[in-house]
Amino acid sequence: MNGTRFLDPTVLARIDNLELLARTVVDGFINGLHRSPYFGLSTDFAEHRPYAPGDDIRRIDWRVFGRTDRFYVKEFEADTNANFSVLFDISRSMSYGSGGISKLDYGRYLAACLCYLSRRQRDRVGIVTFDHDVRDYVPTSAKHLELVLHTIDRIVPGTRGEFTRPLTTVAESVRRRSMLLLISDLYGDPEMIARALARLRDRGHDVIVFHVLDPAELTFPFEEASQFEDMETGERIPVVPENQRAKYQALMREHLADIETRLVRSRVDYARIETTKPLDVALFAYLSRRESLARVK
Amino acid sequence: MSFLAPLFLAGLVALTVPILIHLTHRERTQPIPFPSLMFLRQVPFKTTRRQRIRHWLLFLLRAAAIILLVAAFARPLLNRADVGAGAAGNAREVVLLLDRSFSMGYGDRWTRATDAARRMVGGLGPDDRMTIVTFGQGAEAITQTTGDRAVLRAALDAVRPDAGATRFAPAFQLARDLLDQSALPRHDAILITDFQRSGWDGGADLRLPNGTSLAHVDVSDLAASNRAVSHVMLDRSPDGGGRVIITARVANLGSDAVTGLEVALAIEGQVLQTRRTDVAANATSLVRFDALALPPRAARGRVRIAPDQLTADDQYHFLVRPIPRIGVLVIEHPSATADETLFLRRALEIGRDPIFDLVTRRTSRLAAADLTDIAVVVVNDAAFPGGAAGQALADFVSRGGGLFVVRGPRGGALPAAWTDSVGGTIGTPIDRFDDRGGTLSIADYAHPVFQPFRLPRSGDFSAARFFRYRRFAAAPGTAVLARLDDGAVVLAEARYGNGRVMQLATGLDNQWNDLPLQPIFLPYVHQTVRYLARFVEPPAWYTAGQVAELGTIGAAPGVEWVVETPSGHRSATVVDSTGEHLTLRETGFYEVRQLDDARAPPLSIAVNPDATESDITPLDRDALLAAAAPRETAPSLSVAESAGLTTVERERRQGLWWYLLLVGFVILGVETVLANRAKGPR
Repeated sequence: MNGTRFLDPTVLARIDNLELLARTVVDGFINGLHRSPYFGLSTDFAEHRPYAPGDDIRRIDWRVFGRTDRFYVKEFEADTNANFSVLFDISRSMSYGSGGISKLDYGRYLAACLCYLSRRQRDRVGIVTFDHDVRDYVPTSAKHLELVLHTIDRIVPGTRGEFTRPLTTVAESVRRRSMLLLISDLYGDPEMIARALARLRDRGHDVIVFHVLDPAELTFPFEEASQFEDMETGERIPVVPENQRAKYQALMREHLADIETRLVRSRVDYARIETTKPLDVALFAYLSRRESLARVK
Repeated sequence: MSFLAPLFLAGLVALTVPILIHLTHRERTQPIPFPSLMFLRQVPFKTTRRQRIRHWLLFLLRAAAIILLVAAFARPLLNRADVGAGAAGNAREVVLLLDRSFSMGYGDRWTRATDAARRMVGGLGPDDRMTIVTFGQGAEAITQTTGDRAVLRAALDAVRPDAGATRFAPAFQLARDLLDQSALPRHDAILITDFQRSGWDGGADLRLPNGTSLAHVDVSDLAASNRAVSHVMLDRSPDGGGRVIITARVANLGSDAVTGLEVALAIEGQVLQTRRTDVAANATSLVRFDALALPPRAARGRVRIAPDQLTADDQYHFLVRPIPRIGVLVIEHPSATADETLFLRRALEIGRDPIFDLVTRRTSRLAAADLTDIAVVVVNDAAFPGGAAGQALADFVSRGGGLFVVRGPRGGALPAAWTDSVGGTIGTPIDRFDDRGGTLSIADYAHPVFQPFRLPRSGDFSAARFFRYRRFAAAPGTAVLARLDDGAVVLAEARYGNGRVMQLATGLDNQWNDLPLQPIFLPYVHQTVRYLARFVEPPAWYTAGQVAELGTIGAAPGVEWVVETPSGHRSATVVDSTGEHLTLRETGFYEVRQLDDARAPPLSIAVNPDATESDITPLDRDALLAAAAPRETAPSLSVAESAGLTTVERERRQGLWWYLLLVGFVILGVETVLANRAKGPR
């Protein structure tokens, strides 16, 4: 069976066990990365350097000494022991799905896979779920993978979403420098969102934002005139899609551009992901960011 | 292109439904959940009434589906006769069974039947072949199996209903044979008939070969009634110079009683008497006419009633003939007493039909002229005449005359030359007075002389006592007809030339036996004389379908005769020694004239329809069709009455509705998929 099939969200939706899902995706994904620079990061040999006083003599490479009669110290890709925490927006709007799976489910698979992948790299993993407030908080720990997965598994859609309050709470709670990965549909004022994330960035955290969207939110493919109901507020307004589609799409594009601009300006990594896309898009985005952060010598 | 149920086309009004749907802007009743309305709130809302078709593909699919479904229900058919009737590789062998019996002449049955048959011919496909079989009393294929419609139509144009009865069994047997011989893949049998009840008694095997499709066209009438002259009885009497009393039986084969029905008797075309009679429903009535003087020669008679829808049985044809006479010459011994021929003479004098013209001569006074108009000579216990008279008698027998030789007390004698071939050896008398006489123990009841007495209580020869008889050794080639209880031959028959010679080894008076005193004596003597005279009176009428032997009606052999049927068709024939047989297919009078003698009076044959055909009550059609349906195929295909037959049959064979329905459902399936896609996410 082609391993990349398991990166298809609609295929993943058939796997009930989240850990199995994450393992399947990550193993399949990594097996597909031939001669990957990311493989074996934490224990591989890096280089030799001349011995300097104060170095641990256990790190002297005696074979090199035997050949050269000089002391060299072996340097390895060090264990990162980084903190990796997922900030998962579980507001009601995340439960929308026009086709195969909802944004919430997509985010659930994404969070599980990233946590599993991080744990394979000896990172400490944790998770924070929130809507307009923090719902679940699992601190980062090397032993919390199962707890994180369990938390992800029992996520239910919350109510209305907000960013300022829960992210402020996160900023206050997470004191160690961490890699924070936000999974959200980012419905809100771009300025407020950017400000909340900038606050995290300012505290030394590395912040990655996965903006998860359903294709219908981008294209607005509806045909029949209907009452549209806001999933978070319950507000209903009449909509004639054919008349309003173009304007909607323009506003959406403007919103996305505004968010991306503001986040980049705040040195927050931003990636927009549609729920129909395979998970490897998100995994690559994560690993690209992880690479730049993890090489600690 | 036409439609079997065009009213269904009104369903095309449903086309307005998709048009309205596609023109009308309809708002969902259920709201669509959406993650955030933050952008939609910023878009001004306005509605516009749509005046143009949306989703052209969907609209066209829906309209096409409706059109196809409506067309399927309207049952379309193509008017080309060769469409659907039989494609190559699916050719049919069709046997068309057309009832041409007498009852098909009722009303317009024949017209409807032939119209239906022509439509069947018109419905043949290019590879189909058909055989037309007409049936009545028997069955006959009037065409070879052919796909040439012109040949088939010509055969139908030429056929007419005959006067025979209906018999289904021969028709199905012939159909079975024809279908068995066919190599075509499909076998069809089509029965066109009025399903007359008399045609099938439920016993005959009608089963068609397996795989045969049986269709039928019923041309019977729901409320049919018929009146008929079903029989005529002629009671001849020699009294008053010969008279005949004619009694007719009139049948009313309907559910309504008939009152005051006029029944007319005509002789030689002239109505002599009329009677009025009442006939109850489904009953018969006898109409007796006054006695008529017998004509000097055969006269044509008819009894007729007012014509109804079946005219052929409204008159009954017959021939009134004078009472036939048989000349009998009794030759006595020159010294014979009157008592010796008393019983024989008395027996022959009583004959009324035929009448025996008795002439008695003593051997010594016999002349050759005495044999004129004589059919049978009885040599009653006398010697065979000698001289010219004897030779004349021998010639008489040789030409076919009958000779009965009684060899009683005087022994009698036959010419010596006849001894080895005819006469045999006559011996001394055997005396059985002591044991109360012998009895007749063996008689050849298959012989025409004894045949009338073969049934119980139709005559008892065993009561007669034979006290004395002569020992008789029959000559080779002589047939022994009766023996006594001691095995002695008492009656034997031999042939001399064309004549029949019968010898009785005892007397015909009451001296040697008491046979003349027995009740059976009179019929025995009459039957013997009839046999020896080869007396066969032609029937007063025949039934259609019977075969008449021209010799029996008086047509002399070796002469060329012309036979004219009641419809006027003439044919010449020669009656040879084996006789000439004529199949009587028409009702009325056949006329047989001598070709080279225009002055010779013509001979006539009266022919009437089978009386059972007058009963036009139909049988249980389903039972007959079930009996004829093959075991391994679909049961009888019901075909509508002739008016809608072709259309229904062709539509069924083409089966276009099925394809339209299938395509319609496929289109609906495609429409469902496309509509779901076009509807978009909720």
